[in-house]
Amino acid sequence: MFKKVLIANRGEIALRVIWACKELGLKTVAVYSEADRNSLHVKFADQAICIGPAKSKDSYLSVPAIISAAEITGADAIHPGYGFLAESAKFAEVCEACRITFIGPSPQAIKLMGDKSRAKKAMIKAGVPVVPGSPGVLESEEAAVGVARDIGFPVIVKASAGGGGRGMRIVREAKDLSSAFRAAQAEAVAAFGVPDLYIEKYIEQPRHIEIQVMADQRGNIVTLHERECSIQRRHQKLIEEAPSPATLMNEKLRRRMGKTATDAAAAVNYSNAGTIEFLLDAQGNYYFMEMNTRIQVEHGVTELVTGRDLVKEQILVAAEQALSFRQADIVLQGHAIECRINAEDPRTFAPSPGLIQHFWAPGGPGVRVDTFAHEGCLVSPHYDSMVAKLMTFGKDRNEAIARMRRALDAMVVEGIKTTIPLQRQIMDDPEFIAGKLDTAFMERFLKRTAAI
Amino acid sequence: MIPLELEILKSVLSMIAGTDVVEVELEEAGKKVRVRRGEVAGALPAGQSPVGVAQVASVAPVAAIAPPAVDPSHHQMKSPIVGTYYRASDPTAAPFAKVGDTVRKGQVLCIIEAMKLMNEIEADVAGEILKVHVENGHPVQFGEPLFTIKTA
Repeated sequence: MFKKVLIANRGEIALRVIWACKELGLKTVAVYSEADRNSLHVKFADQAICIGPAKSKDSYLSVPAIISAAEITGADAIHPGYGFLAESAKFAEVCEACRITFIGPSPQAIKLMGDKSRAKKAMIKAGVPVVPGSPGVLESEEAAVGVARDIGFPVIVKASAGGGGRGMRIVREAKDLSSAFRAAQAEAVAAFGVPDLYIEKYIEQPRHIEIQVMADQRGNIVTLHERECSIQRRHQKLIEEAPSPATLMNEKLRRRMGKTATDAAAAVNYSNAGTIEFLLDAQGNYYFMEMNTRIQVEHGVTELVTGRDLVKEQILVAAEQALSFRQADIVLQGHAIECRINAEDPRTFAPSPGLIQHFWAPGGPGVRVDTFAHEGCLVSPHYDSMVAKLMTFGKDRNEAIARMRRALDAMVVEGIKTTIPLQRQIMDDPEFIAGKLDTAFMERFLKRTAAI
Repeated sequence: MIPLELEILKSVLSMIAGTDVVEVELEEAGKKVRVRRGEVAGALPAGQSPVGVAQVASVAPVAAIAPPAVDPSHHQMKSPIVGTYYRASDPTAAPFAKVGDTVRKGQVLCIIEAMKLMNEIEADVAGEILKVHVENGHPVQFGEPLFTIKTA
């Protein structure tokens, strides 16, 4: 086992890792930028090293500064948290070269899964379903017709240089493909100066469902079931829950997706915590999107419904121990919801950094708050806007929602704007309550509520 | 008893912070608080246990609000990186710089080892070395003072 773990991160996840280390009896080293001198992770670690100025590039993203901090403190392992260097294969390699254990997967697995096209190929090879489509750029309109016929309608024609919805056309019938192809091509040229198009099966109203994987270095892989993260804005998750409230989610589908996730992890010799993200359509078909090779922000909801500590497990398997549980030990119990409380205007989403003048974290049955915030704490404009993760747990979804409502009502964050009012409003939304979620939920919700 | 005195002390300290006030004395209900700039003062609970005095004094180091006057010509050169400080190019060589030396801007003053790389750290001002803050072979953090240099 390690003697001393350096946490190459800040904010709530740095604290979360410190708690795990303390419970395992391990010494901790915090690293911090000049802007974080008074942060809680600095206070609660056994040792703290200032590694650079406020700018992340010169502090939390500086590999030499972090490795050097590990060397001068004698840390024998580094937990990267999420963000910053968590998915840097280069950082994991440098750790290895310096004989410091990187608490995460191997650099090879990080590299492979970080490269979208290589990851997709590896997944196809492992029999993991991916969104079907043209293998590359379409040669011609005729080629588009051929691919569309193979994968079936509806399809989406996309500009390969695309973004922001431009150069994109959804085609539901074969007869419309030709005009859509030309329109998308014209748009692509106008917007990006490149006419290249590709074609993919269009997944209607997909849910974002992800499977939590935990693997040791002896080939044991266990899935801790799914999280539903369909409530997102511009690909930023706002509310997550476990298990998924989808009516079509049942033990059978859960087991199938779990098996697929296990196959995906096995195909890349995965160890440590990871998440396989899928799109799930209304018919119960699911498609691999990507794998996150780190502990995720929303790991807490999985911990609440499985009773397992994922961060401690990460440390144990990094120390070459076997997983402390088997698949049969993982039993879902109750329901958990997480709201990411961000320092943002709840309507415009403009960042709102500043001094927190009053702070109160709710408690009581079934409430968990992971945060670095406190009264008098400065939410720095240099970093991520997430201030707290408010999680609630209940015997069922209704109880978890009821607890989230009263917890959001009781939470006090004064001095900055936060997303609390928005999340409180979502808790009363009929679509949310009915569990009718898909990745366009927020778009609809914001339109619906703007009219009021 | 202690929390009350702490409260009084805190408010006195915040009152005089940023002012030219050198000494403040308050007396109420048999308790006396005296704060003097530049040294540690404590609450003096008349006829009470002296233990309380020590505790109050220890939580409120007056030095924190009244740092010793800094000569503007005394430049503090800080470490630009995290690492291990070495005063010489190898254990047998003479130190790059010692107290009393006059140094040029850009002159190598020490080495900081980070990730097995020996980084030569150059003087950011010219002047006379008044103080070397770090001991040979000891770790330094980003922004930690390395030298005090009297600028020429």
